[in-house]
Amino acid sequence: MEKKTFKKGVHPPHNKLTAELPLEDCPAPDTVRIALLQHIGKPCAPVVAPGDRVRAGTLIGSGDGLCAAVFSSVSGTVKAIEKHKTPTGACEHVVIENDGRYETESLPPLKELTRESIVKRIKDAGIVGMGGAGFPSHVKYAPQKAVDTFILNAAECEPYITCDNRLLVEHAKEVLGGAAMLATALGLDRFFIGIEDNKTEVARMLDGIDAGGMPFETVLLKTKYPQGAEKQLIYAVTGRKVPRGGLPADVGAVVGNVHTAYAMYDAAVNGTPLYRRAMTVSGDVAQPKNLWVRNGTPYSVCAELCGGCPDSVKTVSGGPMMGFALPDTDYYTTKTTGALLFLNGADANTQKPSPCINCAKCAGVCPMNLMPMYIDAYALRGDFASAKKYGALDCMECGCCAYTCPAKRPIVQSVRLAKRKIKELKI
Amino acid sequence: MKQLVSASPHITDPRNSTRRIMIDVLIALVPCVVCATVFFGYHVLINLVTCLVFCFGTELLYNLIVNKSFTKDGVKQSSVFDMSFAVTAVILTLNLPAVMPVKYWGMNAVGADGTIVFSFDTVVLCALGSIFAIALAKMLFGGIGRNFANPACTGRVFLFIAFAAGGAFTATSSLFAGELGSTGATWLGTHSTVTGAMLLDMFLGNTATAAVGETCAIAILGGFVYLSVRKVIDPRLPLMTVASLAVFALLFDVLPSGARGSAVAMETAAHVLSGGVLFGSVFMATDYATSPNTFVGKAIFAVGIGLITALIRTFNDNMPEGFSFALLIMNLVVPLLDKYIVPKPFGYVKPEKKDKRGAKEAVNE
Repeated sequence: MEKKTFKKGVHPPHNKLTAELPLEDCPAPDTVRIALLQHIGKPCAPVVAPGDRVRAGTLIGSGDGLCAAVFSSVSGTVKAIEKHKTPTGACEHVVIENDGRYETESLPPLKELTRESIVKRIKDAGIVGMGGAGFPSHVKYAPQKAVDTFILNAAECEPYITCDNRLLVEHAKEVLGGAAMLATALGLDRFFIGIEDNKTEVARMLDGIDAGGMPFETVLLKTKYPQGAEKQLIYAVTGRKVPRGGLPADVGAVVGNVHTAYAMYDAAVNGTPLYRRAMTVSGDVAQPKNLWVRNGTPYSVCAELCGGCPDSVKTVSGGPMMGFALPDTDYYTTKTTGALLFLNGADANTQKPSPCINCAKCAGVCPMNLMPMYIDAYALRGDFASAKKYGALDCMECGCCAYTCPAKRPIVQSVRLAKRKIKELKI
Repeated sequence: MKQLVSASPHITDPRNSTRRIMIDVLIALVPCVVCATVFFGYHVLINLVTCLVFCFGTELLYNLIVNKSFTKDGVKQSSVFDMSFAVTAVILTLNLPAVMPVKYWGMNAVGADGTIVFSFDTVVLCALGSIFAIALAKMLFGGIGRNFANPACTGRVFLFIAFAAGGAFTATSSLFAGELGSTGATWLGTHSTVTGAMLLDMFLGNTATAAVGETCAIAILGGFVYLSVRKVIDPRLPLMTVASLAVFALLFDVLPSGARGSAVAMETAAHVLSGGVLFGSVFMATDYATSPNTFVGKAIFAVGIGLITALIRTFNDNMPEGFSFALLIMNLVVPLLDKYIVPKPFGYVKPEKKDKRGAKEAVNE
């Protein structure tokens, strides 16, 4: 098989410590705290009140437009609706006391697979892009423009994370079946799977699986970060470049995550709404694990299940390249929590930034072909118009620049500052 | 344990650090230092130690004065530990003659056979050059990464202009001087007929020179390969510089001088192997702060150096070698090159299509 890829990028150590470990269930705690904003867009309005009985799969929050429904992950009683911090800010959480009975409530299985019925099921099951961004899927899979390519993103280019890999190994039929449904929703009769060549065996295994009768093509990609970034993946697989500031649909492509496809299958065939997901707990923990985690499980429970993390200096929700660093483990899992990492002093970057030496290594690895050193310099100088000129708005914050920087400059942080200021000052 | 909170990414490439890069450059310079010492004697080592001491001292002192902190902490926080001072010191040493006697000073110990055994003049000049390079060219402009011109090159040109008339920059011959070195002048000065034996001597470094490190092509190539393999430098930049010098030397000097047949190739090769072109393009033109950040910029920069060097070599009779000046002149053009040559972002759409973000304004303003 020919190996495709994009230009530039970096090669961080894979550290896929959990690649061979099967998914296991993470026991739900006595109380779960389910965020009402687990996606990009508007937060859900709660549809339950304290004292209500809920079951696993009961709708607890919903909204219109760019919003995805939220479901209870356990059966029990709603205790409160209160604000709590999330890795990116804060939002209302529904607190549910777990009665330990795990009664479920599900949607009827989807009999007819048409474009409309699938998109409706995506909306009813609260499915979002589970690669990390959490874009509501019912919007994405009903594109305004004609689409001719659907790519299942199995690249999983972030170090440490293996949950997509495990889903493919253990639930290949479900994932491919879900991918076929997503392709159907887009009006397509075939799809691509983009997978990095460090998972060649998985890719070979996939070729023998039946995707609900739909033909598909496995595209082996070079193992390089950020191979799984939407625009880079589309370029590698189809050779098309998403225009600046545009969406993948502008070049007739849609990229879907492995876990999204799995959730699709689960929602259509079993009628299970999205209230749990696979998650990798890794880094410097006694036993790194791949877990099935119900939404609203505290991070601390996951950490303890993996044997604790005494030497951790950095707790990261998500991957080491694009995840969020947390001050403690007082957070709760959501639909998009793909990983929880504990990095020790040797793995985490704890070095102080030193002056830029103008080596242009950041420009040499930027997959968007920007000049990160100038964005950094101008943002810190307060010249946001110049930061924009060097591409601040085109940056996807993949972190290649800061990863490779010899002076260890926090370039991504400067870019975020620039983006925010450009928006604020309307430059 | 307290958890650190910062923006992503949370890991960094441990093989990449400023000090690591500087140490790589120092390693790449070792063959040149060894060859310089072999061909031009122990004076090179005296110069090297002087430059190292004064570069270190100047940078440290500058740090302490600017930070107003003359304590142990002040020393710890100073910028000397990135080792960039050492790179400047070594390159400066290799850019100077082994012995630089100055008119009127004459602070030299002369041996029984009339050769200079120890030259205090040279030590003073090395110290002056180091202070000039670090304090004026580097630290005053903001330290590492902010200097507008190559510090070592600036230091050398300062000494050259200030003390050339004092006799400090007369070319010295190699200890094993053959056909070339015995005259005490470089091929660029004499323009004698090039023979195969002369080219071999030039390749090995056994010639006369006014800069001890630039003669041995093998040592320089070794450094070039090492730096390229370690991805410290972009190998295309030195290649383009040398290639453009060869082309312009051929056009301005070799062909007009009436060389025909095999002499054309021989004289062009002599141009490439003489003077500081090889050393300069590998170790000085690739200086991060003073070379452009884009490939197109690098190409213009390289061609500019080749052109100006060839012009000075051909048309300035007082100055047989012009690489340092060419480099300094092109250093000044770098900010302009970097300002106007901005790579097109991934997915860039031509402005005619009226991209909704206003791509034209964003890229060309």
